[in-house]
Amino acid sequence: MAIEEHTISLLVNNQPGVLSRIAGVFSSRGYNIRSLCVAETTNPEISRITLTSKAESDFTEKIKKQLDKLVDVVSVTDFTGAPSVQREMMLISLRLTEENRKEILRAIDVFGCRVIAMSEDYLIMEITANKDKTAAILRYFEPFGVEEMNRTGAIAVFRQKRDE
Amino acid sequence: MEPIGADIVLKTLLEEGVDVIFGYPGANTLPLNDRMADSTIRHYLMRHEQAAAHAADGYARATGKVGVCLATSGPGATNLVTGIATAYMDSTPMVAITAQVNSDLWGRDAFQETDIIGITMPITKHSFMIRDANQIASSLRQAFQLASTGRTGPVLVDIPKDILSARCGEQPKKAPKAQPKRIENREQLERIAQALNRSERPVILIGGGVKLGDACTQMSEFIQKAQVPFVTTMMGIGSVASANGFNLGFIGTHGNELANRMIHQSDFILALGARFTERSTSVIDEFAPLATVAQIDIDPTSIGKNVKVDFPFVGDIQEALAALLPLIVPRERNAWLERIRTDRQTLEEKLTDGGCGQAGSLIRKIQAAMPRETIVVSDVGLNQIWTVRTWQTHSPRSLLTSGGMGTMGFSVPAAIGARVGAPDREVVVICGDGGFYMNIQELATISAYGLPIKVVVINNGHLGMIRQIQDLFYDARFTTSDLGDRVDLTAVAKGFGVPAERVAVDEDPTEAIARMSAAAGPYMLEAMVDQNQYVYPIIPPGCSNVEMICGK
Ligand SMILES: Cc1ncc(C[n+]2csc(CCOP(=O)(O)OP(=O)(O)O)c2C)c(N)n1
Ligand SMILES: [Mg+2]
Repeated sequence: MAIEEHTISLLVNNQPGVLSRIAGVFSSRGYNIRSLCVAETTNPEISRITLTSKAESDFTEKIKKQLDKLVDVVSVTDFTGAPSVQREMMLISLRLTEENRKEILRAIDVFGCRVIAMSEDYLIMEITANKDKTAAILRYFEPFGVEEMNRTGAIAVFRQKRDE
Repeated sequence: MEPIGADIVLKTLLEEGVDVIFGYPGANTLPLNDRMADSTIRHYLMRHEQAAAHAADGYARATGKVGVCLATSGPGATNLVTGIATAYMDSTPMVAITAQVNSDLWGRDAFQETDIIGITMPITKHSFMIRDANQIASSLRQAFQLASTGRTGPVLVDIPKDILSARCGEQPKKAPKAQPKRIENREQLERIAQALNRSERPVILIGGGVKLGDACTQMSEFIQKAQVPFVTTMMGIGSVASANGFNLGFIGTHGNELANRMIHQSDFILALGARFTERSTSVIDEFAPLATVAQIDIDPTSIGKNVKVDFPFVGDIQEALAALLPLIVPRERNAWLERIRTDRQTLEEKLTDGGCGQAGSLIRKIQAAMPRETIVVSDVGLNQIWTVRTWQTHSPRSLLTSGGMGTMGFSVPAAIGARVGAPDREVVVICGDGGFYMNIQELATISAYGLPIKVVVINNGHLGMIRQIQDLFYDARFTTSDLGDRVDLTAVAKGFGVPAERVAVDEDPTEAIARMSAAAGPYMLEAMVDQNQYVYPIIPPGCSNVEMICGK
């Protein structure tokens, strides 16, 4: 079966221990969680977890059933292959030199990144984009000597109401 | 006296229909033990927490009610783990209550503090950490609800001592139980019925879920109407009486050759409450190569977990069978039934004593000496296979065994739970010498409560099943499986206050068995069996269900 990346979104009760139960569903079956994002929804009793994992194509169905069984999981949605908007945020800090400064600033402009802090020889930028794009941007800046990089992992919403 | 948390626990348990708890105290359970003095709930003091969990499990298996065990924090709670895992693997409805250290000590590595919720997460359906006395009633109710509905299983409730001792007011009233969902996907059942009606060589596969779903009566009716032969998993044994003419036996590694052969040749399998573990299917790619598979299970994750399923149906088995029954058109399948008849005959001629040798004939004699409604509890090892292959079940809750987990030491404490739950029925344990040692301390519980349990230890001086595997697949190099013959088990039993005698199985054990069955109280029979008595046939590792072997 083909290995592909899956994005799954869960609504869960905002309670201690929920995350470790969910992690257990993945780890006990040998799956690795590649990114994970957790935050409260508009209802403070419910949190949304968005996570990605690489696995065979029937993975979501099997994992979804296991996740559905957890008492504190309210719903499980699979974004894989569905029309959706996915974004992650990435922060990159770079050393600036006389030689690279111009090119870096130009690229920041082209890519639509935002400069958050800058000094004579140092710069921090922020990028919000889908994962392919953040990956491409990171690849571009790497030769300039990325000091630090951190990213959030994907969050997603459907492009249209699903029942439309 | 204003009620404290412990009173709320006991009151809620009573409301849930609990009349017994199997437990072991510690400083942190004491508020609860103290209030038991004023409660009608009986607490059975076991001699080990593992045994408390197995007893709750045995109670649930024998009665269908939720079994309850209680242990203190730290070592008490961790001692429950094997028992909880055993219940989880066989989907026994159980609520395990653990006392926890005072909540102001959490996370400080306090004396006897363990994260029992974390430890048991993979072996429970769910767990509750009580943080407030006002949550006690609602969490406990939810625990019982979860344990006893859907795919049943163990739920753990961890309650800190300070909350057990805290004064608390009236708790909210019990909410009405949610109505179970009605069948939604009727068309799928119609498709299953059509496929069964069309099939030439159908076999029904009965798993443990048929008993758990209380669908045994419906199952027998269904078989009678459809005139379709059935096999079971080890956990499915007893769902339909052994003597039923359509019974082919149980499938898998240690199963009946007829059952393994026939499911292999079948063109349609209707599986109910079975998850197709490798113990049952052997090499999965070679399992029932000609069959389309319909699988009915209450747990969606069990469906298609191990085999490809053509007709899945998620739902309550009892309801599914009731809906299927009118859709079944009985038809003649003479060629198929004839093939089964002749195979049965040849196999019976080939295999004397059902492949269970001396032990098989011992078990037959024991059953003959005991009342028809006797509950037999097996341990794990050769003794388990001898028992489940030999004992003739007449009713569903009469053969108890640890199937999914294969826990040695299960039998004696589970028998205690079974007897407490079914005081009108005789209870016989059949275990090996190895498994007997694993919870031997429970003879003290049996004797303290005067429980008239008959414990038969089949003593071959060895970890017999391990020895058989070594004999067959490790060039007969017998390492680490010899238990020796230095222990006088009858003296040990007598020391516990249980009358006991020893008998050699190759001499006639009938009189000894008669003395055992006539005993009013507990009795221990040590039955000496030759170390070279094995179980045949057996499926070697890496082979398919039809590659059973009958010797080296
Ligand atoms: C707790 C536990 N430990 C180890 C095993 C592995 N095991 C399976 S059968 C067996 C031998 C059992 O020996 P005994 O109880 O004497 O029964 P016999 O096979 O001789 O009838 C062992 C060690 C197990 N199933 N459970
Ligand atoms: Mg033995």
